[in-house]
Amino acid sequence: MSSTKTSDKAAKTADNILFTNQRVTDDDIYRNSTQFSAWSFTKESLNEIRVELANKTRLRYQQKIESYFMEEEAETLNDEEKEAIKLEFSLGISAEEQLQIVTLYTQKVQVFCTKLKLPSEVVATSMLFFKKFYITNSVIDLHPKNLIFTCIFLACKSENHFISAETFAAKVKQDKQKILENEFRLLESLKFSLMNHHLFKPLHGFYLDIQSVLQGKIDKNYLGTVYEKSKKMLINSYLSDAFYYYSPPHITLTALIMEDEQLILKYLELKFLGFDPETSSDSLTESQKISKNMYDKLMKTVSSCKTDIKTSFLPDRDTAWKIDARIHYFIDPSAFVKRFRAQKETASDITEEPDQKKQKVE
Amino acid sequence: MSDLYVKEKKLGEGTFAIVYLGKRKETDKQAKSVGYVAIKEIKLDLMKQSDSGDNMGIDISAIREIKYLQELKTHDNIIKLHDVYSDIKTNSINLILEYLPMDLDKLIKKKTIIFNSMDIKLIVLQILRGVNHLHRLSIIHRDLKPANLLIGENGLIKIADFGLARTYDDGGINSHSNLTNNVVTRWYKSPELLLGSKNYDFKIDVWSLGLIIIELLIRVPYLPGKDDIDQLNLIFKVLGTPAEKDWPQVKALPHYNTNLYMYPKPNRQEWRKRFIAISDNFLDLLMSMLEMCPGERWNIVTCLESEYIKEFPRPSDPSELVRLMHE
Repeated sequence: MSSTKTSDKAAKTADNILFTNQRVTDDDIYRNSTQFSAWSFTKESLNEIRVELANKTRLRYQQKIESYFMEEEAETLNDEEKEAIKLEFSLGISAEEQLQIVTLYTQKVQVFCTKLKLPSEVVATSMLFFKKFYITNSVIDLHPKNLIFTCIFLACKSENHFISAETFAAKVKQDKQKILENEFRLLESLKFSLMNHHLFKPLHGFYLDIQSVLQGKIDKNYLGTVYEKSKKMLINSYLSDAFYYYSPPHITLTALIMEDEQLILKYLELKFLGFDPETSSDSLTESQKISKNMYDKLMKTVSSCKTDIKTSFLPDRDTAWKIDARIHYFIDPSAFVKRFRAQKETASDITEEPDQKKQKVE
Repeated sequence: MSDLYVKEKKLGEGTFAIVYLGKRKETDKQAKSVGYVAIKEIKLDLMKQSDSGDNMGIDISAIREIKYLQELKTHDNIIKLHDVYSDIKTNSINLILEYLPMDLDKLIKKKTIIFNSMDIKLIVLQILRGVNHLHRLSIIHRDLKPANLLIGENGLIKIADFGLARTYDDGGINSHSNLTNNVVTRWYKSPELLLGSKNYDFKIDVWSLGLIIIELLIRVPYLPGKDDIDQLNLIFKVLGTPAEKDWPQVKALPHYNTNLYMYPKPNRQEWRKRFIAISDNFLDLLMSMLEMCPGERWNIVTCLESEYIKEFPRPSDPSELVRLMHE
């Protein structure tokens, strides 16, 4: 649990360890994984990538609208309509909006996986694949609804949960060709790194360790309930950005603490301290001070992780369909023109009719 | 990315992949020593136009190879994946791998080469180390055989071909294994696989290694079965038919037949007669790697920490292997 060291240094140390006779810890393995090297970010760097994608995409679509004006179809447009389109297209889809809509669809991925009774690893991998794809791809270029099944299918293969494309397509009632169409692009966007160190293994590890540390002080059935509830929370945590910022054991420990703070703090106290954490530092021995330091550091990470798990990017219905509608306009500007004209008509009727063709976000 | 490498000649062809000998293009004038690479081109078109019309998308063995090799870049005894890139022109995924022209199978078959005990130990130690790295990353190779143990120009042995590899899932209080037993090339298949077990573990790799090491000593495959049934029979004949007392629950395995001929388990003297020239500790290692019952069979760490590895003589220097290769 020494994963708060600076990443650079840690990776280097771990690298060397692999060639010596020293014991290789789970942490070393994690620091050498692509999950850490290719898919871990600081909050600032991840945000930067997302904002840059949003900006680039917006510029690209602004150019696209210029060429749309050259098309025959656009000849009927009057100046007011042109201005309205320009305004709409200049908005783009912001990084925040993209994150909202992607989170919404990641939840749909989760729902479909659950319906298909897929193992937790496959559910989690599907969700991660989905989220990762949209770090470097805009929702305008590939609508999230068209990636759901590709993601689940690739995750099944990657997690060794074998299912034929035929059977899969039939089960989810989708066109097989459509599912396979974007598989390559998905694999590429995942930087060809497919391995995920999931949260379920550390959960099981903690489950066993808590029993041994709190031997005779805890009811196994109760701990089983904590385990199951935490597992649910962990699956939901894949909707958040926690996976990019923290190591799997950190996220797992955080979920356990959120489930039963008193129990888990007792466990950590016995595991790492052996004394009351409230003891004033003056009365601690040197080695106790070191333990206390580590413990405090861990608590700090847990508390910031808690915030990230709790932060929901899920948009409300209204926001969701507004973003979704805008994605459709970007793909097909004439749809915007139609709606704009229809709105103008109804506006003159004074009746404030809601958008007649509400895009249903399935 | 695709401009960085040139394909020079075709080395081999499989169902979905073609392997080329390639080179990294000279982009940097200072980089004078340009080494060869193997380029595995995985054709996506071929998968789409399969005769049966059963398009599976990207081949699962390609996915496994990419998935595992990406995580295994730091170990000397595992083939290095330098790069992966997609090539729109040929609609393919290209794996840039270390080019390793020699493998253990070729080396074993080259009868002019004589290995001394130090050479043997050098080879054994390297394959144990490579497999140890896989196992500590929870990866079971599932197809260890001499032809998949490649040898570099520096005398380092490299484990290759991860098309059948998978992660061993031991997590979760509700987890239950359901692994396919249709893995590993027949002669190196462990008894639990042949008996149809679906919750085997890392020990299947140890079994394969045990047989590879014996092959290294006797220079022919030790248990070359004609088919899976013959393979199982051969194993029992040579190493004894397992009974419940040596292997609890063995009778519950799907292909266990109660009419089996009960061959006796060879004792130490018998083993000694078969392998006269090796040390006692080496014999212990072999016997323990080929324990019929997976629970009794040594795991890779025990093999690495065995007395055989610690005792004299020390393994020879990898350069010795290079010398033998070119003899």
